[in-house]
Amino acid sequence: MDPYLLSQYVLSGLVIGVIYALMALGITFIYSIMKMINWSMGEFYMIGSYVQYALLATVLGWTLWYVALPVAMASVFLLGLVVQRFLLRPMYVGGVERRDEYATIVTIALMVFFRNLAIVLGGPNQYAPRDYARAGRLLTLPISGNRLVALISTLVLLALFFLVIKKTWIGRAFRGAAQNRVGIQTAGVDVLRLDMLAFGVGVALAAAAGALLAPDFLVYPENGAITTFKGFEIIVIGGLGSILGSIVGGVLLGVIEALGSVFLSPAYKDLYGFLLLIALLALRPSGLFGERERTV
Amino acid sequence: MLYALRGVLLAVLTTTALVSPALAQGTVKIGVLTPLSPPGDAAAGQFIVRGARMGVEEINGAGGVLGGRKLELIVEDDAGTPEKGAAGLRKLAGQDKVVGVVGQFHSSVAEAVQDLAEQLKVPVFMTQASAKKLTEKHLAYTFRTHVIDPDRVTMWNRWIQQQGFKRVALLAENTDYGVGLIEETKKQFASMGVKAELKTMIFDRAVVDLTPQILEIKNWKPDLFINVGIGTPLYLITKQAFDVGLFPSTPMLMSYDAPARPEYWKTLGEKGTFATFIVYYHPTMKLTPRGEGFRTRYLEQFKEQPVYGGLNAYAQVMLIADAMNAAKSDKPDDIVKALLANKFTGWNGTISFTRGDGPYWQQWTPPMLFLQYTKPEQAFPEAKIVFPPELKTGDFTSAPR
Repeated sequence: MDPYLLSQYVLSGLVIGVIYALMALGITFIYSIMKMINWSMGEFYMIGSYVQYALLATVLGWTLWYVALPVAMASVFLLGLVVQRFLLRPMYVGGVERRDEYATIVTIALMVFFRNLAIVLGGPNQYAPRDYARAGRLLTLPISGNRLVALISTLVLLALFFLVIKKTWIGRAFRGAAQNRVGIQTAGVDVLRLDMLAFGVGVALAAAAGALLAPDFLVYPENGAITTFKGFEIIVIGGLGSILGSIVGGVLLGVIEALGSVFLSPAYKDLYGFLLLIALLALRPSGLFGERERTV
Repeated sequence: MLYALRGVLLAVLTTTALVSPALAQGTVKIGVLTPLSPPGDAAAGQFIVRGARMGVEEINGAGGVLGGRKLELIVEDDAGTPEKGAAGLRKLAGQDKVVGVVGQFHSSVAEAVQDLAEQLKVPVFMTQASAKKLTEKHLAYTFRTHVIDPDRVTMWNRWIQQQGFKRVALLAENTDYGVGLIEETKKQFASMGVKAELKTMIFDRAVVDLTPQILEIKNWKPDLFINVGIGTPLYLITKQAFDVGLFPSTPMLMSYDAPARPEYWKTLGEKGTFATFIVYYHPTMKLTPRGEGFRTRYLEQFKEQPVYGGLNAYAQVMLIADAMNAAKSDKPDDIVKALLANKFTGWNGTISFTRGDGPYWQQWTPPMLFLQYTKPEQAFPEAKIVFPPELKTGDFTSAPR
């Protein structure tokens, strides 16, 4: 294999892996705080892409994607708050005891609802915003400007997220809730309100991925399906609830898929991630950075 | 008072008894089973429904079928998935009691649907499903008025020979359509003596990032790239091939007529320029009076050129109506017999069905043309015909490197 070509495959896998990580980060963040899996995560990705497209096509014009991006994130953040407040909060009894099946049913119902709503409002066709930037080159890899923008924006968003989690009061509260929901309540934190914020932030991260990838991966009612699927794969590889795990897992999945498609067969691209997942589950069931939990 | 009521009752009964037998028998239902939501090619499905609906309106406007019975169109979404297709056909045949079903687009769905149609004894029409095995199975209730894959491959092999392409890469989705085209291309490269190297790759239809595959193809340095994606994958491949610098410097042939639709430029922008694509209809074509009438009404109603899927679905509805009138019956078995025994007017010629060898079983094939866009946002009627030589309106243009 030509080393130049190999470097292209690895770089292409790295780029898509970092973007996958943004999606997985939202899932793992919501899980770590609320201890629930949001099965409709891909639909928040899809809504983010639709809002971005609608803003660019109607209000802002094609060049102001960087203005549309925070607006799309903020819209989905607000939607997340509403969903959490009215649909998900009833799953908790006293802020601690939770009914897991409730969250599963509600988020799967939301998935179906949002997909169909998108078909009703936007039709079943695909849309694409104009390119965010001109095509360029990342070391040896010829790359679309959109993907380069998505990569840089993802890195910025990940850094911001880390800063907020590590350096701010609200970040400390999130970390506390992730460790012990009862303990954080004894410190005077309204854990249900914290859940609302966590859910909003988690789905806003998915919306950012949707908005950033809209020109490359298009805008259509089912565009979130594949990202949800990858997101869950990544959090199991990286370790459920581990933020670092979701980033490393995303990159690992991206690279393995890229190399598997080239060296084995592109027809089974999704299979390579699952093989990695099965191997990890056999050797390290808690994932790369996950920790074993003790139930009392 | 009692007398008055009795009078009214008598009048109602008399009116009921005197209504025409046609009305008493009710409407005749025709089903449309087509992709109207993802992962199917939903845009194609919408054009098919438009065409079928216009066919029903035309028949009803002219008095209906079988001496005055109106047609009713029942639309079902197969979403491009075999299980939804089978469920849709069960509903159409079992609950709605349709006399025939048009609109099949995805070959994988059509295969599931046609097997069930055989059991349920309802004629199904392939509107744009082209896998050869669909008619190769020699099923009594399957009819097709669309091209078949061997003919499609023969056409692009002839074009490859004419253009002198030496290295051809084919990227196809993992469906009956995509895999069938790869197998057929390999077979015909040998049988037609095509003097070119062939590289084939299959991708999973659900995957959105095809960059590694496209990079590999680029590195192989083809002088023709055949894009066998249907619906969203067609656009993803084109965009990603453009972004890594494979297309348009390497010519791309798209395997079907998606670029004829208005959504093409909206989705691809200037990245769609210089694509060559296969169509079965071009606005400069001479049509039958029936096809011409459809084109005129379509232009009036939708302010755009009709696309082939609409024309073909329209013609299939007319075909079922004509077959019912010829058979003087709305029973599916009688319709099948009439379809085999008669000749019908289609949108661009006379349609007849014979039970030929191999895939030429109850099969009627429209013409195939290769078109090329050479300017961004070029209107479909302005795309030049570059192949076959006897119909071409311009030469193939390479993109500036």
